[in-house]
Amino acid sequence: MDQLKLTRRQMLRMMLAGGSVAALAACGTSPAAPTAPTDAPAAPAAATGAPAQVSQTGSTVTITYWGSFSGNLGEAEQAMVQRFNESQSDIVVDYQFQGSYEETAQKYTAGLQANTIPDLILLSDVWWFGFYVAGAISELDGLAQQAGLDFSDYEPVLLNEGNRQGKQFWIPFARSTPLFYYNKDLWAEAGLPDRAPETWAEFGEWAPQLLQREGNTLRRSAFVHPDGASYIAWLFQGVTWQHGGKYSNDDFTMTMTDPNTIRAAQFYQDTVRDLGWATLGQDINRDFLGGAAAAMMASTGSLAGLTTNATFPVGVGFLPKEANFGCCTGGAGLAIPSGIPDEKKLAAMTYIAFATNTEQAGAWARDTGYMPVRISTKQTPDMVAFFEENPNFKTAVDQLPLTRAQDAARVFVRNGDQIIGKGLERIIVNGEGPATVFADIDAELTRAAEPILEDLREVEG
Amino acid sequence: MALSEEITLTRTIETSWRTPRLWRFAGYLAMLATVIVIGLPVYWTVSAAFKTTGEIYRIPVTWLPTEPTLANFPQAWNAAPFERYYLNSFITTLGGMTAEVILAIMSAYALAFLRFPRKQLVFLLLLAALMIPVEITIVPNYLTVARLGWINTYAGIIIPGAAIAYGTFLLRQAFLSLPYEVIEAARVDGAGHLRIMFNVVMPMAQPAIVTMALLSMVAKWNDFLWPLLVTNTTNMRTLPIGIFWLRNSEGLINWGVIMAGSLFLIIPVLIVFLMVQRYIVDGIAAGAVKG
Repeated sequence: MDQLKLTRRQMLRMMLAGGSVAALAACGTSPAAPTAPTDAPAAPAAATGAPAQVSQTGSTVTITYWGSFSGNLGEAEQAMVQRFNESQSDIVVDYQFQGSYEETAQKYTAGLQANTIPDLILLSDVWWFGFYVAGAISELDGLAQQAGLDFSDYEPVLLNEGNRQGKQFWIPFARSTPLFYYNKDLWAEAGLPDRAPETWAEFGEWAPQLLQREGNTLRRSAFVHPDGASYIAWLFQGVTWQHGGKYSNDDFTMTMTDPNTIRAAQFYQDTVRDLGWATLGQDINRDFLGGAAAAMMASTGSLAGLTTNATFPVGVGFLPKEANFGCCTGGAGLAIPSGIPDEKKLAAMTYIAFATNTEQAGAWARDTGYMPVRISTKQTPDMVAFFEENPNFKTAVDQLPLTRAQDAARVFVRNGDQIIGKGLERIIVNGEGPATVFADIDAELTRAAEPILEDLREVEG
Repeated sequence: MALSEEITLTRTIETSWRTPRLWRFAGYLAMLATVIVIGLPVYWTVSAAFKTTGEIYRIPVTWLPTEPTLANFPQAWNAAPFERYYLNSFITTLGGMTAEVILAIMSAYALAFLRFPRKQLVFLLLLAALMIPVEITIVPNYLTVARLGWINTYAGIIIPGAAIAYGTFLLRQAFLSLPYEVIEAARVDGAGHLRIMFNVVMPMAQPAIVTMALLSMVAKWNDFLWPLLVTNTTNMRTLPIGIFWLRNSEGLINWGVIMAGSLFLIIPVLIVFLMVQRYIVDGIAAGAVKG
């Protein structure tokens, strides 16, 4: 019995010792990593993997670039970084893939807390604004001047999105827009002219000829909408404008109950329920490729993939009009964190200038299918040749000057996209009245906008 | 002890010959349904790995690849440094699992067989930890790991997951269900705690320990979010992140290549499971105590 007691005490002592060692370890290391506030410019991002370079004239600066490109896009991005690194010897860019747009933004949020931030970051249309409001990304005008970058050659629609109160915070890089896609074989079968419909009314006339029914089940729909999770609110944005409505005003007052916005929602509901020529799908690319839908609106980013994998010729066109033309932009751009040394900021800006110069913007567009962000890119010989080979891509680029930035309700209100998307699902799938649903959504968006508005007043006065 | 000391995992299932046929038929039906529900996605993964992208998107779906292709495998393998991902996955899984099993066995032994003050409280804390979803601990864990300077290191991936309440709980319940007479007999023979643990408790509880180790291994092997958060560079990344890299962020997804990559992930676990599964069935302390 004696022996047993001793062992138990020994074990207890061991446990306590083990615990205090862990506690000591935690204490011992904490002073080494100062908990600097995020706005302290002196705090170097030492733990990001890339060693922090001390400024010495002539030494190379290594910058860490966090992005969301994987697959084919990731390869194109790495090729771009490699071209930059080979083009000069002062700056080395280290491209680090961080997951989806959402995961990259979350990692940056966590990194701000723990002081492990990159020197250059790719942020999507819905994420950059939150970091701007939080003061976590730098103003870029001064840096652009130092790097010899002139903003006047950028597509104004794309550039202005990243501008607040005359200051640039976010530079367009991988930008896309919605595009109307149609299956040319089915079009020919139905005896339709080989072009996208001019107006929704015209498409309404064509649609019955594109349908295929077997008894009561729809074998093939004329058109397919994505669901809330696959960003229906992005594609519906243009449709609201076409009907003369919008999600919100610039001052964050919501306009979901505007009669024209409701009219657009009623139109969406009718296409699926009353007219019955459209369906709602989780993966519209699959439905289109598989021939389950004759047409769709989808991102220009899908153009290359669809063209390669379709068993039929793919046709594209501008979005159909209603009262007006309406088409929004999307995708991601580049920003520079605010808590890094000036030397690294300038190095990051030098990379941005390279990646968005006339030639590189063209190479990126040809590799990926994103829009060229420079106006002059369209006239380069490489691009002209590419347009000749891919007239569909030219259509997408021609539509670009007609597009505009999305309403604040979707991109600047946290979760705004999903709030609107779920509302549209209620209208289309459950068949609830657009007016009642959008009244709810209006209230929900207004509530969700409050915290952002408060922060915004502090930042912008 | 107020809490139930039984564990369903180690209890042998009693098959009664008197079970009416109807019930047995229903049982088979349920098993069939389970196999289909679990097996279908696995089958789809395997067959899609041998299809072209065009065929994967084709409607109606094809169950057998009509034009089988092996092109997805080299394409997936060459798209990212999978050798490095394998190495990292082996290190983090092995390290994490070993730490978790050792800690779970020792803490479970203490909770099951030792008397010490506030033992119930410790157990209650353990139960409370069991109820907390892993996602909630991610932010504090990240901050701790970052301040320790463990971002982008193996320690950063392994240590926060080295002790899981679930493992301790599972083994404590298993240890308590062991025949106490055998342990008492060992004690009478003069065996100390370590000896009892290694030579008596562990062999008898082998199925539970192996089960727990396997669960731990699969969880760590497949873990995606935590390794993604604490690593930044390609040379520290693990297999699941490698597969994510194969996916396009916008536009069309090349599913054939992703499924081929998924097979890289699944196959080692499958092999280990096939090798180890007999230890789950064997090793039950049958006949250790005379009825």
